[in-house]
Amino acid sequence: MIRLIHGIDQISKTVGHAFAWCIMIVTLGTCYEVFVRYVLDNPTSWAFDMSYLMYGAVFYMAGAYTLSRGGHVRADMFYRLLRPSTQAKLELVLYFLFFFPGILALVYAGWDYGYESTRIGEVSVNSPAGIPIWPLKMMIPFGAALLVMQGVAEVLRCILCIRTGDWPTRLHDVEELEKQILERAARDAAREEAMQGASK
Amino acid sequence: MSDPVIALVMLGILVMVIMIGFPVAFTLMALGVGFGYYAYYQAGTAFFDNRVFYLLTQNTFTVLNNDALVSIPLFLLMGYMVERSNILDKLFFSLQVALKRVPGSLAVATLATCALFATATGIVGAVVTLMGLLAFPQMLKAGYDTRLASGVICAGGCLGILIPPSIMLIVYGAQAGLSVVKLYAAALGPGFLLAGMYIGYVVLLAMFKPHRAPPLPKEEGDFSFGKVVLMLLKSFFPLALLILSVLGAIMFGLATPTEAASVGALGSIVLAAGYRSLTWAGLKESVYLTARTSAMVCWLFVGSATFASIFSYLGGEAIIKETVLGMQLNTITFLLMSQLIIFLLGWPLEWTEIIIIFVPIFLPLLSHFNVDPLMFGVLVALNLQTAFLSPPMAMSAYYLKGVAPKHVLLTQIFSGCMPFLYVVIICMIVVYVFPGVALWLPDAIYGR
Repeated sequence: MIRLIHGIDQISKTVGHAFAWCIMIVTLGTCYEVFVRYVLDNPTSWAFDMSYLMYGAVFYMAGAYTLSRGGHVRADMFYRLLRPSTQAKLELVLYFLFFFPGILALVYAGWDYGYESTRIGEVSVNSPAGIPIWPLKMMIPFGAALLVMQGVAEVLRCILCIRTGDWPTRLHDVEELEKQILERAARDAAREEAMQGASK
Repeated sequence: MSDPVIALVMLGILVMVIMIGFPVAFTLMALGVGFGYYAYYQAGTAFFDNRVFYLLTQNTFTVLNNDALVSIPLFLLMGYMVERSNILDKLFFSLQVALKRVPGSLAVATLATCALFATATGIVGAVVTLMGLLAFPQMLKAGYDTRLASGVICAGGCLGILIPPSIMLIVYGAQAGLSVVKLYAAALGPGFLLAGMYIGYVVLLAMFKPHRAPPLPKEEGDFSFGKVVLMLLKSFFPLALLILSVLGAIMFGLATPTEAASVGALGSIVLAAGYRSLTWAGLKESVYLTARTSAMVCWLFVGSATFASIFSYLGGEAIIKETVLGMQLNTITFLLMSQLIIFLLGWPLEWTEIIIIFVPIFLPLLSHFNVDPLMFGVLVALNLQTAFLSPPMAMSAYYLKGVAPKHVLLTQIFSGCMPFLYVVIICMIVVYVFPGVALWLPDAIYGR
């Protein structure tokens, strides 16, 4: 089961990482626009549409990746005081009540919405350049489906945790700087303690 | 049950599930879809013909193509790059040398470093942990009171979510329908005022209670004037220039926030290259973390969009308005009440949830009490500083505890944060009594 969970994690991570680079496209594209508009006085017709298309892609497609890393914001004031197996039982129920209904609705409704837009090849009305916006609409069902899959992985994690009494591991990935620093500090403190214990 | 009562039940379930600790974004979406299905239910239509499905995708798409939110990932990228640019130790050292003659110079230099660095990065945890490793041991070594040293780092680290270009203000602007440009102009004065009040407090303390912040020995860190200027040129000015050019371009209408943020993001990459710390690994890390943090913030928008429209469709907004208006409040009591609620929400929740879910509940009431939404935004931003400082859930304190020497107790850190908490409250009162602190700049640039 842990291999299936990590397999799903890997898919979410790969997709999230791939779409994350869209932020560099926004950065470079918009800087190019700034240059040609303010220096050469010759603005592009695509920069505005490009910026929100790419921004949407970054955050939307990273939703499942963020879930796989436990990155979606939650108030864990009480939650963190519970034993892992209690946490898992609670979460298992909550996933079925407060996760799958909304996301499945988004997959279903998003498919109609995205399919219709793709069929007519919808383009942006903001400029005559005719930047296609159907890919952004088509992303709605796909990003949501990815989240459903990741949700299944999280449910499997809960089941595994209830069985073993401890949360299964997550894939190693980049961490926030403060987390890296805190982990390093905790390791150092533990090592120091061990050394003191040995010298006594 | 009447519809408004059902709306309140919906809100009640939301609060309950949040408190249990389930990810908020999905809870919002599921509640929106569930209650929306009920609200739009018509006997005789097929299961999937309910209008809530259309509403859900429509709302999701409005978040996806919301051009006001584009600058969020860009500013995040800038922050992550600055965080990894190895600038902090140089910045702290040069400021410390430059401020040598000021009473409590180490603490003042720490505050100034925190303010500048936090403004550029906008991420609280990193500033507190980095300064906890860099400045905290130095202050303790110099004989500073542990509580004072902790308070300085925790309070300074939070300034980044207040002083523009902060992401919190973009999020508030998106929820209140205000231009980010005006909000930035309005938050600039109070942001500097708060940083100045922190510094003023530390200087006064060092003058009247020197045993808590003793002066450094004379011979230590004596550099010629030219050398100090050179050090500042290499560390302080590049970062200050980056922030000022981004902010200036936005506030004087030279560029849209998206454009300025893009230039800022590219600038931060150039800055990292200038400090010889631009690595492929660092860039990759920044890009991936940007995607994750943007997803965290923007999925909250996706969830709350549907939740909020169903809540107000059921009449929840109206019943709250009616109740509050029935309480016979005046402007001051209304402000006190709303800010107190936000303050209390800051204990269990993070600013993202507070601004995206709970602040919008107050927004429709502002016009009735003659409160300028700009002013309200500034007060909320100030207020949320306290969310990071007040026990028992102050994140900054836990971050600092994690990197501090073992003999430093969490209770010492908390009691060190308290005076700064009072300074925030005084600052809020000052801003309210003298609204010009916040509103003068936006009025002067954009008129009424």
